[in-house]
Amino acid sequence: MTTCTPSASLSRRIRAGCDENACKCYQCKKCSSGCPVARYAGLHPAQIMRAVQLGQLDMIFDDKFIWLCTGCETCTTRCPQSIDIAGIMDELKIMARQQGRFPTVDAPFANILKLNYDSIKRWGRLYEIELLALDKLTRPSGMMDDVGLGMKMFFKGKLNLFPTKGDKLAMERMVRTSESITRAKEQRGAAE
Amino acid sequence: MSKTLAYYPGCSLHGTASELDSSFKAATAALDVTLQEIPGWECCGNSAVHSANRLLGLALPVNELAKVEQDMKLDAVAVPCAACYSRFMVGAHEIGDRETAADVKAVVGRGYDGSVTVMNLIDVFHDAVGLDAIKEKLVKPFDGLKVACYYGCLLTRPPKVTMADNPEYPMHMDEVVEAVGCKPVDWNYKTDCCGASLALCEQSVVVDLSRRILADAKACGAEAVVVACPLCQANLDGRQQAMLADDSAWQSIPIIYLSQLIGRAVGVHGKVLGLKKHLVDVTAVMA
Repeated sequence: MTTCTPSASLSRRIRAGCDENACKCYQCKKCSSGCPVARYAGLHPAQIMRAVQLGQLDMIFDDKFIWLCTGCETCTTRCPQSIDIAGIMDELKIMARQQGRFPTVDAPFANILKLNYDSIKRWGRLYEIELLALDKLTRPSGMMDDVGLGMKMFFKGKLNLFPTKGDKLAMERMVRTSESITRAKEQRGAAE
Repeated sequence: MSKTLAYYPGCSLHGTASELDSSFKAATAALDVTLQEIPGWECCGNSAVHSANRLLGLALPVNELAKVEQDMKLDAVAVPCAACYSRFMVGAHEIGDRETAADVKAVVGRGYDGSVTVMNLIDVFHDAVGLDAIKEKLVKPFDGLKVACYYGCLLTRPPKVTMADNPEYPMHMDEVVEAVGCKPVDWNYKTDCCGASLALCEQSVVVDLSRRILADAKACGAEAVVVACPLCQANLDGRQQAMLADDSAWQSIPIIYLSQLIGRAVGVHGKVLGLKKHLVDVTAVMA
């Protein structure tokens, strides 16, 4: 049997990031029974919540659950304590991306999120075919995934070869301002 | 009476879901709704944004809402993509908090007064047009086609954000399809997640989730599944060849956009509806 030293630092960090109080969770497991992806991971949502309460970040980062969470909001909808559990999963993903902590070497979902975010910053909109191509190039294990489906979609005219662009200057300004406000908040939080 | 709505297509409708764009425009035009696309619209702040930069994820949709309110001077915006719709609703909801509102205002560069109603694909037909107005315009109604109305995750959840009447068993889409002569079936997976956000990285999970949804729709007697989200459509439609590869007895079921169904009933040509863009053939049920 393994034991752990409980720490409140993680639930405080989560609260600072997304204003959700994990301490309210009393482990009824309604979130886990409604979760569509719990069966595909090692941990289920209620266990993630318990790990947050106990400050066991490694346990969370070593499992793939947060990367399987689709953000379907079923847990958030049903939680009798009105905890935005999906919002906490999002905050854990933000922390994992900041710290570069992924359960597998090539972290497929994290790679796609990063490319998707880069694409939006570059064009103001998501450029679908560029995202698909860059994912294939940067993640060798996924190279052959869905090639047949992709070709079929292309020939059905469902993939646009050229990007359509948003207001790129406005996007650049919003990215810059939001990143600097968030950074200032994090620094203030760390100093407290 | 004609109604003018601002229109936010979002990235999918300009790419993988071009048939949702064309069928939505044609169906609304036939029902006397005028759409005005938001000039220079940007990404809605999808999960890649809000799971990296929470503030930007809120500011992007609020920026579009401010354009509708102050530049276009309209009181409602149609957002047919369920994922974009969710970001718009979350943005509008979160700025109810004063500190968040101040941060979002700093990023957007101006305030937003909250006067714009955000409408998803179902809302446009159910509320902006109305069931009676649809019935008046029927040219080629369906003759009792049995359909499963699939709402997926984000049209109703979380209810404190979407204000959905019945988040676990919604009925508005069922009422709309009934108005065009279809027979909506009762079934068990109306609001279950199809896993579309994992489409590019966890194929086996996505196929499994989608198979459960479609198997239930078929078991409950549906001849087609009606959807109101481009990600659900691409997923449920595109993944059926993998289901067939796993099980040669798999009977494919067509996945149709609500706007295509209504478009057909109010006399829009099949070519405009993009019926040939589907991977599972829809011509038999849409004939």
